[in-house]
Amino acid sequence: MLLLRRMMLLLISALLVFPTMAQDAPTVAVLTPFLAQPGTQLMVEAFEASATDKGWDVTVIDTNEDIAALVSRMEDVVLQGVDAIVINVDPTQIAAGLQAAADAGIPVFGMDSGTDPLLATNVTSNGYSMAAETATYVVDRLNGEGNVVMFIFEPYPPVQKRGAIARAIFENTLDITIVDAITPSFDNGPLEGARNAMEAVLLANPEPGSISAVWAAWDDPALGALQAIEDAGRADEGIVIVGIDATEQARDAIAGGSNFEATVAQDFSGIAEKVVELIESHLAGEEITQVNHYISANLVTAADLAGE
Amino acid sequence: MTTQQSSSNKFKHRQLSVGGLMRRYGTLIGFLLVVAIFWWQKPQTFMTIPNWVNITRQVSILGVVAFAMTVVMVTGDFDLSVGSMASLAGIIAGLLFQQEQSLLVAVIAALMVGLVGGLINGILVSYIGISAFVATLGMLTVFRGLALYMSGGASIYGRAIPETFSNFGRGGFELGTLNEQRVFLPNLTILAAIIFIVVLILLGQTVLGRRLYAIGGNMEAARLGGVRVNPLRLLTFVFSGVGASIAGLMLFSRLSTAHPTQGEGLMLKAIAAVFLGMTMTEEGEPHVLGTLLGVLILGVLANGLTQLRIDTYIQEISTGVIIVLAVALSSLSHKQINILKPIQQFFRNSGSQAEARQLND
Amino acid sequence: MNFPEQTPLELSIYQANKAYNGIPALIDAQITLRGGEVHGLIGENGAGKSTLIKLLAGVLSPDSMRVTFNEQPVELKTPQDAYQLGLRFIHQELNIVPSLSVAENIFLSHPYPRIGGVFVNWRKLNQMAQDVLHQLGVYHINVRQNAAQLSSGDAMLMKIASAFIGDDFANLRQTGGLLYIMDEPTASLTNVEADILFDVIDTLRQQGCAVLYVTHRLNELFKIAQQITVMRDGEVVGSHQMTDVTADDLIREMTGREMENVYPPRAVEAKGAIRLEVQNFSTAHVHDINFTLREGEIVGIAGLNGSGRSELLQGLMGADARESGTIYLEGQRLPRLSPTLAWEYGIAYVPEERRSQGLILTQSIAHNITLPHLAETTHGMGLLNHSREHLISQETSHDVQLRAVNTHQRVKQLSGGNQQKVVFARTMVKQARVLLLDEPTRGIDVGAKFDIYSLMRQFSAQGVSILMVSSELDELINMCDRILIMRQHSFVDEVVPTGLNEETLLSLCYGNAGE
Repeated sequence: MLLLRRMMLLLISALLVFPTMAQDAPTVAVLTPFLAQPGTQLMVEAFEASATDKGWDVTVIDTNEDIAALVSRMEDVVLQGVDAIVINVDPTQIAAGLQAAADAGIPVFGMDSGTDPLLATNVTSNGYSMAAETATYVVDRLNGEGNVVMFIFEPYPPVQKRGAIARAIFENTLDITIVDAITPSFDNGPLEGARNAMEAVLLANPEPGSISAVWAAWDDPALGALQAIEDAGRADEGIVIVGIDATEQARDAIAGGSNFEATVAQDFSGIAEKVVELIESHLAGEEITQVNHYISANLVTAADLAGE
Repeated sequence: MTTQQSSSNKFKHRQLSVGGLMRRYGTLIGFLLVVAIFWWQKPQTFMTIPNWVNITRQVSILGVVAFAMTVVMVTGDFDLSVGSMASLAGIIAGLLFQQEQSLLVAVIAALMVGLVGGLINGILVSYIGISAFVATLGMLTVFRGLALYMSGGASIYGRAIPETFSNFGRGGFELGTLNEQRVFLPNLTILAAIIFIVVLILLGQTVLGRRLYAIGGNMEAARLGGVRVNPLRLLTFVFSGVGASIAGLMLFSRLSTAHPTQGEGLMLKAIAAVFLGMTMTEEGEPHVLGTLLGVLILGVLANGLTQLRIDTYIQEISTGVIIVLAVALSSLSHKQINILKPIQQFFRNSGSQAEARQLND
Repeated sequence: MNFPEQTPLELSIYQANKAYNGIPALIDAQITLRGGEVHGLIGENGAGKSTLIKLLAGVLSPDSMRVTFNEQPVELKTPQDAYQLGLRFIHQELNIVPSLSVAENIFLSHPYPRIGGVFVNWRKLNQMAQDVLHQLGVYHINVRQNAAQLSSGDAMLMKIASAFIGDDFANLRQTGGLLYIMDEPTASLTNVEADILFDVIDTLRQQGCAVLYVTHRLNELFKIAQQITVMRDGEVVGSHQMTDVTADDLIREMTGREMENVYPPRAVEAKGAIRLEVQNFSTAHVHDINFTLREGEIVGIAGLNGSGRSELLQGLMGADARESGTIYLEGQRLPRLSPTLAWEYGIAYVPEERRSQGLILTQSIAHNITLPHLAETTHGMGLLNHSREHLISQETSHDVQLRAVNTHQRVKQLSGGNQQKVVFARTMVKQARVLLLDEPTRGIDVGAKFDIYSLMRQFSAQGVSILMVSSELDELINMCDRILIMRQHSFVDEVVPTGLNEETLLSLCYGNAGE
């Protein structure tokens, strides 16, 4: 009797599961408005590679900085009945989309996103610790004394965090002054925006040594600042530049022995792989309780790159 | 030598042929074709009530901007500042929410943004005589800068925003249940429909609308025929400004977030929608019904292509190709869709347009 | 292809047929142009003149056509063919680019002279443009000024000049074209400017060139043409030596009906009360205007182009701002007017350029008729009353004898005469008190002219006061009760037309009556 019941159960579950398993592999939609950003690109590519290895069907949707469109596209994939959604955007801005997914019972995973009750979980680097790494590097290099220019970006929480921590560290160091905290214009890309802003700062502070360091919340503005400093012929003043994210361009600049001295490498593929792993276990029916999963990041200097 | 040709017969036939139909109704046929393809490819999800409800909500904000833009374009002008005006309206409302002002105060203040912004645009264009292209391009930058400055570049979201406000953008009017799922007619769709009807009546059934079309048809003849051209042109900009503000509030409500640049994509899409609509009218003049179809085309394309899981960049390319194709097809039918009119006015002293068509013998 | 002067020159077209959408526009038309001869071509609007010219120009392809040049068969399939044969065209439309200089406009469809094949040789360009104007006998136009600043007459002279670039008037058949086709070139010219053109035509004829001259003005043909072809409904109905026919013969042939008089007689004498009184009226374009207008009176304004005639009407309409002066309408002092207010007071206006100032060509007849009267075409609350609009447009278009499919037809599909009738229908929606007419019959055929004159008589009989500006002196003399002479932005004289002839009136316009 018990055997019969078990056999029945197996049959039913086979009927239910098998067709879906055989006909379509799990479908996952990845939504981001920032695919043009190198970090996001790395992460999404790593995710696609890892998910495709598992035989999943992955769709990547980029809305080119348009959040409203992202919500619309999210509604579309919900309606289409994907098995899971991965977002790389501030969850508070897409509450309508998250609600649609929740109503349809589709889990949403944050990939370097943010914390939200409607997210199954979020995998990210610890922004606080990354900013602390580069800010303390600057403080150490200046021996706790000098004028620092900051490049920040408030609208995006993960980056905003970095600025807050770095600011706290600089303010906590008695002899360090923050000359300016600049949000670069995105009109022609943050690199160009930061470059223009830095040129203005250099013009306003013509004395050699009046600028000791540039701290950037990510690599693009650090590269822009580097260009401005080199073009102004002030590369030999020993201005220390640091960024975060360790993009290819940043690595080259650091390896080349320029003023750009350090950056932090987020483990983007690590984040992506963790998301894949979490989705897999969720699909297998496991409960995910942890709100955030942190993947550690490492400081990258010329010495680290010399070995590569 | 004798020249024997039978081109007149050919010409006559072509008027009634498939080609002729394509040119006149090409955009509509194309739209139906696109719908048919999506339906065939996604039989389970595309042609369903929830999906169409979805589409109407997704296009509602763009619709409001495009309907208001139609009014401006009827007189032959443009308003490039609608997108940044929408962002600014959202930011103003958000800041007032943060200062714990009431919902009513915030909404009225946001609407005032469009009213005042539209007034400035209108005065610049109709009284000072700057071309609409230049004036609204300049104001676009001003509004954008204001929105960034006032918000400090940061998004406004979180607990300060009243629940009634964010619920409006997500809620709707319950239509009933379908497959055990409740189906709502979204509030945003209802709001857009109301504005559509207002514009439809305004342009088609009122003296004001008739006068606006007269201005667009021949400004000098309208003026000499007793139409108060300047105040009416100004009014169209106020209309598009208020429309933009409403759209900005809708966007804010839908996202529960006011970002200083979140409305910027609206302007180009709204103009594209109006142009798509213009391809379907006899003389190539803007008509709000056409605009509605234009808005739906853009919405359906985005929705359907996403469902077909076509790369988003390919989506952009195909949307652009469809717009150009539609306008090209209809210009083959010798409609005068004068996309460059405001630009031409910029280069030319206005008023000296000698209509030089040779239609009478 | 150039021929020595002695060579005979003869271009013939036979069996030219052309139909638009199955409706024939040209049926077996034929015409022969000979060197040393000015050949007139007349016919009402829609008679097929323009179609014939477009076939000659190679811009339309005929359903059938045979062309011979000096008895050799030739082709006229493209504009290049026409140019190669030596055909040159002067069209009636003023296709000018206002933002370019006069010289650039003259060179609009010619290659610019260049330095080293790259840079425009402006000095030479201006010099050549000036030369061609001087050859025409035009000395008052500066080739460097913007075309926008030209009066419509000067703009036409500029257009005419562009047909003669690089030509030597002493030896035209070697350097220039052989056959000149002119489509209503005098439509926007004053008599003096027209005389300049007639001198040019005379030169062309003496040089042995052939001229085909299309016009609505018969008296011009008697002045310059030797041969005439009359068209009606797409067919050639007559071809004559100019010396063998009278104007009445030609009109009869053109219209297919007897027309005793082009000008309908006045039915009642206008001796009504003073309707409009204008005192010391000035705008930026007219100075110190004084006149009165009685009920039912038709008063003409004569003057040269640029004398301020049209500008006076615009000022009275409120389209140009009043700087000083007073206007009384039936004894009531009027406030500063705008076109909107003027229409409300019953001052109706038919502007000079019906296409650019009068009509919205892309819209329907009904929409054009009700435009100034929309406020009275509502259900209230600004909502349009479509049935009332339909009724109004039906009635008024019937009253002006408009020939159209229905009132929903687009105005651009109508002939010039019918377009002008739409503008007139607009003035009949509400009983006008004063009617301002600027060149009411410009560019329309004899039949439509008669209809418009009849309308004016009818208005006048109803007590409407009419102020009419016209360059057709004949029309002023035959239609008006009084004629005011305008010179240099002011009134200088007033005459009664009884017994007046055109020459006297013209010399009054020039201000040399006494000499």
